[in-house]
Amino acid sequence: MSERPSRPNTPAGGPAAPGHPAAPGAPAQENHSSPVGVIHDIGYRHYGGGRLGRSSATAALAVHSLRGIFGIGRTARAKIIPFALGAIMMLPAVVSIAIMALAQQRGMAYPGYAAGMQPILAIFLASQSPYAVAPDLRFRVLPLYLSRPVTIRDYVGAKLAAMAAAILLLLAVPLTVLFVGELLIDLPGAPLTSDYLASMAGAVGYAVLLASLGVAIASLTPRRGLGVASIIALYLLCSGVSTVLAATMESVNDYAAAGWAWLVNPFFLVDAAVHVGIFGTEPAAPGAYPGGIGVAAAIVAVLGLIALSVAVLIMRYRKAASR
Amino acid sequence: MNGVIAGISYRALLGRRRIWLLALLPVVLLGLAVLLRAVGADGERATVQLLQNFAIGVMLPLLGLIAGTGVIAPEIDDGTIIHLLAKPISRPVIAQTKFLVAASVVAAFATVPTFLAAYLLVGLESGVAAGFALGALIGGVAYAAVFMLLGVVTRHAVTVGIAYAVIWEGLVGNLVPGARRFSIQQWAQTVADQISSSAFLTTGIGLGFAATALAVVTVGGVVWAGQRLRSFSLTGDE
Repeated sequence: MSERPSRPNTPAGGPAAPGHPAAPGAPAQENHSSPVGVIHDIGYRHYGGGRLGRSSATAALAVHSLRGIFGIGRTARAKIIPFALGAIMMLPAVVSIAIMALAQQRGMAYPGYAAGMQPILAIFLASQSPYAVAPDLRFRVLPLYLSRPVTIRDYVGAKLAAMAAAILLLLAVPLTVLFVGELLIDLPGAPLTSDYLASMAGAVGYAVLLASLGVAIASLTPRRGLGVASIIALYLLCSGVSTVLAATMESVNDYAAAGWAWLVNPFFLVDAAVHVGIFGTEPAAPGAYPGGIGVAAAIVAVLGLIALSVAVLIMRYRKAASR
Repeated sequence: MNGVIAGISYRALLGRRRIWLLALLPVVLLGLAVLLRAVGADGERATVQLLQNFAIGVMLPLLGLIAGTGVIAPEIDDGTIIHLLAKPISRPVIAQTKFLVAASVVAAFATVPTFLAAYLLVGLESGVAAGFALGALIGGVAYAAVFMLLGVVTRHAVTVGIAYAVIWEGLVGNLVPGARRFSIQQWAQTVADQISSSAFLTTGIGLGFAATALAVVTVGGVVWAGQRLRSFSLTGDE
């Protein structure tokens, strides 16, 4: 096999082996004969394979985080919440397929899927993103990661990629099932391929924005419970404020301001930026979004929020790693 | 009631980052009230909608969740609850003390801003301010009891709590009218309806049912949490 460094054949460890009580004069004698602080090779097998380097370490961390977000490799109890929420996300797709098969009518619209299921997505984000970051902060194991080739940026990128992939899975699977169902049932008229593609692009937007916001907020506290509460509180605040504001503005007949008010909700923000703005589908919010400059503002806001979250994360981890 | 435990719980609840979250919700409610007044949408209908949808619908469950789980769940998570349980203090008394702390915090952070927001918009007209303040007080106490119990029963207390508040009370309650009978928010609105004479506030639940349910949930939650603490086994983190 490979060339092993020849080692002195010490039968039972080092000088202080059990069953070999040192005589009173022995230590002084050994100091003369052998150098101080010898590291004995006690025969563990050496690693002889290739070193995969930084990118592989980052990818491994991302895959490990993604598995952990869904509870794979954790206890059975940790799997209940993510898989139950995933099953609820599938429900509208299954019901829509049933409606299409039995009544020959379309059920849930593709671009409105995420906005319609926003409470479920928000609960998933709130319950799982603290898992992705809080334990490492709480048990102060960050230096162990950083003693590898992984840098802070890699670590943050891996966690963000894992969370984004989890949300993308949560959205893309039901959307694709719904589309395949539509193709198989073969409704009269052309299949809504462009709507499906728009909703998949929107799913990427939702995944990146929600993951950045969720992981950034979760990283601010090492306590999982507080992280969960903060994320859901901010989501409920945004959606509540946007609903109240829009209803108020509509009651005083200011429909332009009502359109802006919907954009306070991050789900409608992505809907306005990607679905309505880029692909020109129907808005998922109860009212219309502001047109023209509103689309540009929504796109800028989405990108700005993502950049802000990533900046917060990098700063947070710089501080956490230096402790 | 044990003064020392109460002091420790207050410090854990109010001394850290948690207080920012607790303060943020009432501030947003007052901000919305000011904004409604500024754009001239300060009629009784808009006020009732704001209080129903935001004060009772969003702020109250969140405050109950943060305070109710916050008094006990972090200690269980850390394992420091062992030091508390090892003291010669009756476990039900520990649960009652923690409940009183959570309930007083929710009451202070929910009742006062609710009253102020309503007062800003419609003054004392047709008892809207007083009604919703009382509803928020009683509902908040019930939320505190339920979410404290959740904190003792499960390690995923916050997630289970938001699932109840968002999925059951929000989604299911909107679609299935029967689910509204088992919603703390609806009970709180029933209480508010008793005091307020506003025509814009209608509830489908009788006061007898709501009051009984609130009492049963509150007392039951505290008693069950105390019983559960008596035979509490601390399992390791997953």
